[in-house]
Amino acid sequence: MATLWSKVSAALPHNEEQLPLQFSDKVESSVVEMLKRSRRQLYGDASSASRTLTAQIILDFSWEKLNTGTWRRVDKEWRRVYSYGCLFKVAALCRDDPSADDVVQAVRTCDMALLMGAAILDNILQVLVRILQEEVKKSTKPEEEREPTEAKRVKMECPRVPVIKEESAVPRIKCPSLERFSTSYLLPLRPVVLEGTIEHWPALNQHPWSIAYLRSVAGCRTVPVEVGSRYTDEGWSQTLLTVDEFIDRYILNKEGVKGLGYLAQHQLFDQIPELKEDIRPPDYCCLGEGDEDDITVNAWFGPGGTVSPLHQDPQQNFLAQVVGSKYIRLYSPEDTDKLYPHQSQLLHNTSQVEVENPDAERFPEFARAPYLECVLQPGDVLFIPVQHWHYVRSLELSFSVSFWWS
Amino acid sequence: MPWFGFGFNAFGQIYVHEELRKGECSDSAKQVKVSKPAELSGQVDRRDGCLKTEIRASWSRRASLHLDSDSCVCLAGFVSSGSSHALPVKESRGCKDAIISESYLTLAFSDRLESWDLQKEEKTPSWSMAIKTHPESSGPSVDLPLVPGGYIATTPPLYRSLSPQLRAKSLALSSEHAVLLSASGAVYTWGLGSHGQLGHGGLASEEEPRVVEALWGMTMSCVATGSWHSVCISDGGDLYVWGWNESGQLGLPSRGLRKALQQQSSQQAGALHPDASTSPAEEPQEGEEHEEVFISIQAFPALLDITPSSCEIRTVSCGCRHTAAVTTTGDLYTWGWGDYGQLGQQTLVSSDEPQRVEFFREQQMHVTDVVCGAWNTFVAAVKEEVACS
Repeated sequence: MATLWSKVSAALPHNEEQLPLQFSDKVESSVVEMLKRSRRQLYGDASSASRTLTAQIILDFSWEKLNTGTWRRVDKEWRRVYSYGCLFKVAALCRDDPSADDVVQAVRTCDMALLMGAAILDNILQVLVRILQEEVKKSTKPEEEREPTEAKRVKMECPRVPVIKEESAVPRIKCPSLERFSTSYLLPLRPVVLEGTIEHWPALNQHPWSIAYLRSVAGCRTVPVEVGSRYTDEGWSQTLLTVDEFIDRYILNKEGVKGLGYLAQHQLFDQIPELKEDIRPPDYCCLGEGDEDDITVNAWFGPGGTVSPLHQDPQQNFLAQVVGSKYIRLYSPEDTDKLYPHQSQLLHNTSQVEVENPDAERFPEFARAPYLECVLQPGDVLFIPVQHWHYVRSLELSFSVSFWWS
Repeated sequence: MPWFGFGFNAFGQIYVHEELRKGECSDSAKQVKVSKPAELSGQVDRRDGCLKTEIRASWSRRASLHLDSDSCVCLAGFVSSGSSHALPVKESRGCKDAIISESYLTLAFSDRLESWDLQKEEKTPSWSMAIKTHPESSGPSVDLPLVPGGYIATTPPLYRSLSPQLRAKSLALSSEHAVLLSASGAVYTWGLGSHGQLGHGGLASEEEPRVVEALWGMTMSCVATGSWHSVCISDGGDLYVWGWNESGQLGLPSRGLRKALQQQSSQQAGALHPDASTSPAEEPQEGEEHEEVFISIQAFPALLDITPSSCEIRTVSCGCRHTAAVTTTGDLYTWGWGDYGQLGQQTLVSSDEPQRVEFFREQQMHVTDVVCGAWNTFVAAVKEEVACS
């Protein structure tokens, strides 16, 4: 059986020449020198401690750059430097007879590169994380028996399901033709629930997305998690957890942690391509002007009770429900004046109103705004037209996938 | 006056180790992370102890500014060609002041300013400006990064103008924000405000210098900036801090830091006793510990108490994520990020509480000045008896 290092080193460039370190002059030569030092240590003789140390210096320096200024203004070169730091650290961790803990750290390091870095060397960190994940799976097999009890515990939740009034219900339609969807809903920008359009997804058939399945595909992977009920709340924060930790803490509530955790608005499918195989972009997206590559696919995975406050997005959205159900309220952009958006630049596309418990004194006009509502069930896809205000509350354990397109 | 350095030394900017010179070493961690103050080499009294030396530092370099009749700047640390010896910069002969960033060395002469690009080997400065001397103006002509009519930024465009109405006395710069001390003792800030580093109470950025109203009415005597935090000292020796407290750089309780320290200690405990991951002693205690208020971002200036509370602060300097202050009694206190030994506590542990650096006490030394590089700290100290005489 091949050792982990032999698999990892086979995936790495074979020698220094095949690992060029070229950066724009944004990256100071002292930093490039540190990168070269790391490369020399990778292919030459060095202690494991000094390999790890040099990689950490690169990571610490580029982390500071990634946190300087706004994320969008961070030069892509620094995201590349960060990825190289992760690459060197992973190589150092896997080198000399790594412990189980070293391998877990290496997976986490790959994920940090995939989350914060830029793709380098044909996305080598994606290749490495696959090798490492295999290694993790090998060592954590014999625990499958715990799953049945988990499933029971999750089902015990008792959702507060709102009654949908017929006059305000979002219309539902079964598999409309492209033409029909375009003329009746897309062009007039009318919300609709599409039924029967994602039944062929592997996520709903071959390997239905259960907690056990998500653990097996992604358990050891690090993802960003929102902690706190709503992103507009004081005390709301983001943290990084493995999928296993997230499930234990916030889905199964094993540790008795108060508060909600939500794996929200994360491009999980770029990070874990194996899960991407389980979904398909809706055919209707071809009615847009963009390529399939321009579609932004986000995962929304959390327990019952997660709330996305009333807000609007700058693109068309298909919200596909895979697991559990969600209550959704929709307001037309024509009624924005009744929805009291926040004044601040950061939250100007978010309403101040608590939709299901509005403060009539502060927001008197809100009650006059007409709305549509629905409960999204597994297999449903909701079309949320561009700029349409939407409020979302999960009624139970839920996994949805959103497709932003134009 | 001897200078000491501690913290990040990957380029030999504190001292050059034999093995580092050879390029490779068996156990580099000790040389890269200097956690015990080390006397700077090659710059002790060149001539009969009358020499005055000041230190400036960037991430990879240290500039020693020797101020005497034949003043000059010596560089230590990263050199593009690969050797790391303290080189005297011959172009600096006669300079009065200097500052160094990762890319530029700026020199102030009595009649001109020059910025040299450290990335390239050039025969001429990449930027220069003649200074007209005003005989009627009082005080020192330049105090970098302040220059007549403006200041020198860390990135191009290097020269930026400043309104004369601000009556700037000194200026502290990070790559994204600025803290200015006016002649009247007021503090102005501008630039990026994402982590509360401007001290106006919010996270908004400011294009133009804006007075820090919370400090209004108090006379300040010194300002300093880290990458995401700012500090100043009042006339009475009180220290005010604001900005990001991610590594405890404000000296206020930091949740992020406590979590990281807990993780480290449980990992170490786990390595020693794989079966007992949590010992009962680590359980949170009921009572005051439990109630502690953590500060992530401090958007208004906060008064920082340094125990013993009678301490007055004489000077302060910030690294990217750490802070170092000297008291009027000659003690050095450090806090914030400590991964590279930049706190001088002979450990690699970060601290969200100001802690005295005992090394100088043990050596019976009186600390007179402190200058932080990005991830390291430089300290001037004299023997007690010399200080008294």
